[in-house]
Amino acid sequence: MTVHDMKHAASDSARLEAVGGRLSRVDGPAKITGAAKYAFEQQLEGLTHAVLVGATIAAGKVTAIDARAAETAPGVLAVLTPDTIMELRGASDWLGNPPSQPTYAPLVREVTFSGQHVAAVVAETFEQAVAAAALVKVWYDETPAIVDLSDGKAGDGIPIDAMTKEWGDAEAAFAEAPVRICAAYNTPREFQAAMEPHGLIARWEGDELTIWEPSQWLDGMARTYAEWFGLPFENVRLVSPYIGGGFGSKALALAHSAVAAAAARMLDRPVKLVLTRPQNFTSYGGRAATRQTVAIGADRDGKIQSIVHRGVNETAVDGMWVEPLGSVTSIMYATPNFSSKQNVVRVNTVVPGAKRAPGENPSAFGIESAIDELAYELGIDPLEMRLINYAEQDPHAKKAWSTRQLREAFAAGAEAFGWAKRSNAPRSMRDGRQLIGWGVAAGTYPVRRAHGEAVVKLLSDGSVEVESSSIDMGQGTYTILAQTAAETLGVPVERVSVKLGDSHFARAGVTGGSRLAGVMTGAVHKAAGQALDELIGLALSDPRSPFQKLQANTLQVRDGRIASPRGEGPDLSIADFMMAIGRDQIEAKGDTLPASTTPEERYKNYTTIAMSIPHTEGDYSRHSWCAHFVEVRVDEDFGTVRVSRVVSALDSGRLYNPKLAESQWKGGIIMGIGQALLEEGIVDRRHGRIVNGNFADYMLPTNADIPDIQTISVGIPDPHSSALGGKGVGELAIVGIAPAIANAVFHATGKRVRDLPITLEKLI
Amino acid sequence: MNDQVTISPTTLSLNLTINGRTQALEIEPRVTLLDALRERLHLTGTKKGCDQGQCGACTVHVDGERVLACLTLAAQVEGRSITTIEGLAGEDGTLHAVQAAFLEQDAFQCGYCTPGQIMSAVACIREGHAGSDEEIREYMAGNLCRCGAYPHIVAAIRQAAQELRS
Repeated sequence: MTVHDMKHAASDSARLEAVGGRLSRVDGPAKITGAAKYAFEQQLEGLTHAVLVGATIAAGKVTAIDARAAETAPGVLAVLTPDTIMELRGASDWLGNPPSQPTYAPLVREVTFSGQHVAAVVAETFEQAVAAAALVKVWYDETPAIVDLSDGKAGDGIPIDAMTKEWGDAEAAFAEAPVRICAAYNTPREFQAAMEPHGLIARWEGDELTIWEPSQWLDGMARTYAEWFGLPFENVRLVSPYIGGGFGSKALALAHSAVAAAAARMLDRPVKLVLTRPQNFTSYGGRAATRQTVAIGADRDGKIQSIVHRGVNETAVDGMWVEPLGSVTSIMYATPNFSSKQNVVRVNTVVPGAKRAPGENPSAFGIESAIDELAYELGIDPLEMRLINYAEQDPHAKKAWSTRQLREAFAAGAEAFGWAKRSNAPRSMRDGRQLIGWGVAAGTYPVRRAHGEAVVKLLSDGSVEVESSSIDMGQGTYTILAQTAAETLGVPVERVSVKLGDSHFARAGVTGGSRLAGVMTGAVHKAAGQALDELIGLALSDPRSPFQKLQANTLQVRDGRIASPRGEGPDLSIADFMMAIGRDQIEAKGDTLPASTTPEERYKNYTTIAMSIPHTEGDYSRHSWCAHFVEVRVDEDFGTVRVSRVVSALDSGRLYNPKLAESQWKGGIIMGIGQALLEEGIVDRRHGRIVNGNFADYMLPTNADIPDIQTISVGIPDPHSSALGGKGVGELAIVGIAPAIANAVFHATGKRVRDLPITLEKLI
Repeated sequence: MNDQVTISPTTLSLNLTINGRTQALEIEPRVTLLDALRERLHLTGTKKGCDQGQCGACTVHVDGERVLACLTLAAQVEGRSITTIEGLAGEDGTLHAVQAAFLEQDAFQCGYCTPGQIMSAVACIREGHAGSDEEIREYMAGNLCRCGAYPHIVAAIRQAAQELRS
């Protein structure tokens, strides 16, 4: 188990800074002193402030807007409405599909969801803009809205054939199975709720647009702005040095982004627009509400014979989001017969979006609850049930796993948790008036791969710069790329500075799907290797090089010094060597694309997701895996649930920095505790409005809700998943937490809750 | 709504003492301490997470007590001593024990709630509310962290409280 190796590394300062070492965040000092300037905290001369006005109906037409009072309010520079905002061009989607409409209107006349932007006020100060926005009067012609999936008008939705996965004859095998369970599992609309709101500053200089905006995908968003305004891609610069949390929500340029950029163009002044916290619940999509039914047929010894799965997720009236609900269902357990199908249902909401492990998260809630139900149907220990049906290969792709340390995760987690001491019967463990429940569930996330590039510069003082337009939203990109460059080049990590978050740096694809670390460590490793090759090549061949007369075949660089591997001849710091040969810098741009890649393909690779590499490409199926063990305490009188203990064993392959990976895992577990017990977007049925769109009423876990959490790494390097052997970290740990808690609540109370969140009224 | 509502252009002349320095401001009475810090004085270490007093990201100290800058008008704190995250480290840049412990324990990820967490943590220890992990969790419950750094925040405060006692 690599947990022991980590402890060893922590006590070995020489290894702290290498890949795999527990180096503290290199961006940490800036963040703990307040020096880190986030995107829309830049100071600009002549900055103006914009505030949005949102629709108060969920469906219908804007019939009139009276902006006179707002226009004459102090400090107001402009009131933008659907009639007065400049026309934008349609932009292609994130797959690169061309726009469905030739023009794009970020302020609308036709309202399809509550809170949709209908007007914006720009003023000299924030306070003036807020006050004037309250003076904008909007009249509507309201029509009936479909408020959510349970609305009678919602219907069965649209079949998404691409989601269908079938083998064997699942329905017949289920009908014939001696043991059968079938149940429905629901998850509500949930929100990413990053602490930093969405927002931006837009500034035009002639036909050049600079956008300071928190972004998980600078190149993709720059493409969208370029297309909206009919600019060459190079004319748009996106800057996003730190991101105050994204969780999937900050990868796309959105309607409010277009409003700010258009306002700046129209006024020829820089414009700052930051969504209010309530607007953050309606201006972009959270996780779609989902409904699933899972039917499992099994032998009496617990061996699964068939799984029949049907899923539905909500999407928008004017946009499509598919939350892949069969993603975990189809791979977690071995079964000879399987069927999964999915529909989407249009409701009056902003188009849902990506939230941490879209698809895998609700999918795991269904299958990992259902397997627990099957275990109790048969009187088999839930952990044993999972081992009986362990998938030795990918049951869907019919390929070998690249690595799957899930059995090891079950073993390590059970040992650390003390699972062997559990009594299986519900309501059989208690502490006074508290019912105690122990639950287990597994999780998984695919290894999403892509090509990346990076620039590595060796400077004349021996220091190193790494440049990439990828980003750090807290995962630790600055730190692991510094470790990668330091290790590859043989320089101390404190001599490496990493520059991220500027689209003028080397290009990068989306930071999402837990792919950044694998892609970017590979790209930096390659670029740094090229820089090292050039350095050594110069040392061996440059006429001014002190090493030239050595007639050596190679040299090595260690701790920032160049020397012969056998220790003979000169021993020079990189700085002294650069001075000796009269070089200012050595620069290498490395990428992982095939050499035959055309410029058009490169552009597509970084500005769309169309060239992502399937996780089942070639001979292997690549995924991260985890096993969660959870203890809950349920108050017998009040039905309140507290998570009192979590032990999770996780296989993310090789960890580039275990200290930071553990933080991400725990963060996923904590977001999963929120999902299980607290989080639910509540829609007012009269007006289709989210009524709890703020941090007091949409409840996030607080410090007082969270117990000690133990994470154990059981990963081994996976050479099929990434250049340096890692698999995904950021999304894995949230997958399976909600069912582990639901299973623990069943064990505590005997009550199976299949509808998240598990609130007290569902238990009493 | 009254269409004829007029918004007074009146501004106030204020002297605010922030991190030991007195700064003059000409602002409208409705400007919050948070917006005065971020938009006028460019002290952007204090974060705006909700602007509704619900998340704690804007926590600063006023006369040593933790206060939400988004629910405080700048005009309310004239003549009082305001400390923000930028004023917590020593003149020579030496980190406060809480800052150092946050770094060591990896008590943050994205860093956006972190200044508020740290200001709250310093006050939590000073108030005598860092006696146990349970007490720390309760008295830090007003500072939300969506990255989920809570267990490491508790560890950092436990460590810093011990260091500050000794």
